[in-house]
Amino acid sequence: MDDDKEKQTVIEAEIPMGTVHPAALEPYRVRLFVEDEIVRDAEITVGVNHRGVERIMEGLPVEKANSLTEKICGICSNSHIWNSCLVAEKALDIEVPERAQYIRIIMEEMERLHSHFLYLAHGNEVLGHETFAMRLFYIRETVMDLLGMIGGNRVQYGAPILGGVRPRCELDDKRIQKLKDGMDLMEERLAAFADRFVSDPMVMSRITDVGVISQKDALRLACTGPTLRATGVESDLRTEMKEYDPFEFDVITQDGGDVKAQLLTRVFENLESIKIIRQAIRDLPDGPITNRSWEMKDTPLTKSYIEVPRGTLYHSYALEDGRVRHCVIRTPSMANIGAMQHACIGHHITDAQLSIVQCDPCFTCTDRAIQIIKI
Amino acid sequence: MSLKSYSRGRAVHVMLVYTGGCNGCDIEIVNCILSPKFDAEQYKVFLTWNPREADVLVVTGPVTKHNEGPLREIYKAIPEPKAVVAAGACALMGGVYKNCHGDIPSEEIAGPVDKIIPVDARVPGCAVRPQDIVAGLVSALPLILDAE
Ligand code: SF4
Repeated sequence: MDDDKEKQTVIEAEIPMGTVHPAALEPYRVRLFVEDEIVRDAEITVGVNHRGVERIMEGLPVEKANSLTEKICGICSNSHIWNSCLVAEKALDIEVPERAQYIRIIMEEMERLHSHFLYLAHGNEVLGHETFAMRLFYIRETVMDLLGMIGGNRVQYGAPILGGVRPRCELDDKRIQKLKDGMDLMEERLAAFADRFVSDPMVMSRITDVGVISQKDALRLACTGPTLRATGVESDLRTEMKEYDPFEFDVITQDGGDVKAQLLTRVFENLESIKIIRQAIRDLPDGPITNRSWEMKDTPLTKSYIEVPRGTLYHSYALEDGRVRHCVIRTPSMANIGAMQHACIGHHITDAQLSIVQCDPCFTCTDRAIQIIKI
Repeated sequence: MSLKSYSRGRAVHVMLVYTGGCNGCDIEIVNCILSPKFDAEQYKVFLTWNPREADVLVVTGPVTKHNEGPLREIYKAIPEPKAVVAAGACALMGGVYKNCHGDIPSEEIAGPVDKIIPVDARVPGCAVRPQDIVAGLVSALPLILDAE
């Protein structure tokens, strides 16, 4: 009799969120299946944002296709155009001058900085601490201004081109000085923020042991990037990329896999990025920044993997008459969707949004799969 | 100035809708309202995600087919008087996504925005600059404040 009573009081419900939702920013759909107030299952549906970028790229001249990849994502635009150039450079055997390599690294690391700052700001906003969020937006402004100074545009800066970097992005002494000052300023402010962040008992109690992804689950769900590193797995493609050989940096890992670990991974990675940029400025070699002596030819399917702010990014295409064929792009958020769903399960419903946001979703670049309906 | 428009002017609520752009514009808009550098909040402009609370609708992105319905719904839910600001090359003419190759129309894009809902102010740029967004918002404000 008592058992029956208990069964009746458990309320099962489905809570849909999206596609336009206050905390989600981007359009995507989440369905939470709750028992009382505990999430028992979660489902994330993407596809609302699908614009068919790969299809537009098909048949375009490779230079045009490269600059189009930038428009896949406004947060990691440099990563996309860089990887897209790497594919063609690998296929056509184009040698990139060393100075250009260094400038590419500087741009990429600055992008990691601004992406992680955005993540931290968004995370803080979702957990309800708007002052921290504003503070982080304030720190982020420094790196946005530096990117604007080098690339000419604050968001789509488009530094890499086939065989080097765009002449507009050359670093002269004045710019290098500004970069140095910017890095000093940012390190100081970030350290001050980190101090306040970890010593705030209210924030810490809100994010500790929330949205836990265990190491085993993270590996099983094939997470990548900082989301995986926050569970204690030392996996960073940058250690295997030859572009990063001249630089010394640590792979940041944290234990626990909860929101706290995720946030702190990003904070420490930012400090590592500042370290890499400093090294790149110090050792910046002289010489040309573009190599224009290469010939177009037909190539088979070539692929390239790089480490971008959110994990491993994959681009592949073949070239035919200088045009792109069979283009495939796989973004890191795609791999992390499993973790987002998993992190919600077993926690209170008020933690669900935080659990999703902690995996740094970027559905704008993820929406690329198409559904093929059988007739 | 009526009492209504006086009080409206003290708290302009901006709703931002992403309709399939690349995130570049969206983040610049959030940035321009929240970040202390541009800080539109000091002029009593607030960001909201509740259409019933909003005065100005800022739309970014080329409006994918899936987003067309929600966008219309959101527009309907905003109380009169309202203004719509389209921000970014995507929202204005579909950007790089609209025409696949030359004249072949894209199967995914329903936009640009003015095909779907009436647009009052247009802010160009890819991505838009925060300064331009503030200018665009300011140019749309008379529509709300001077309404009867
Ligand atoms: S206008 Fe440019 S920056 Fe803005 S959403 Fe479109 S592609 Fe992205």
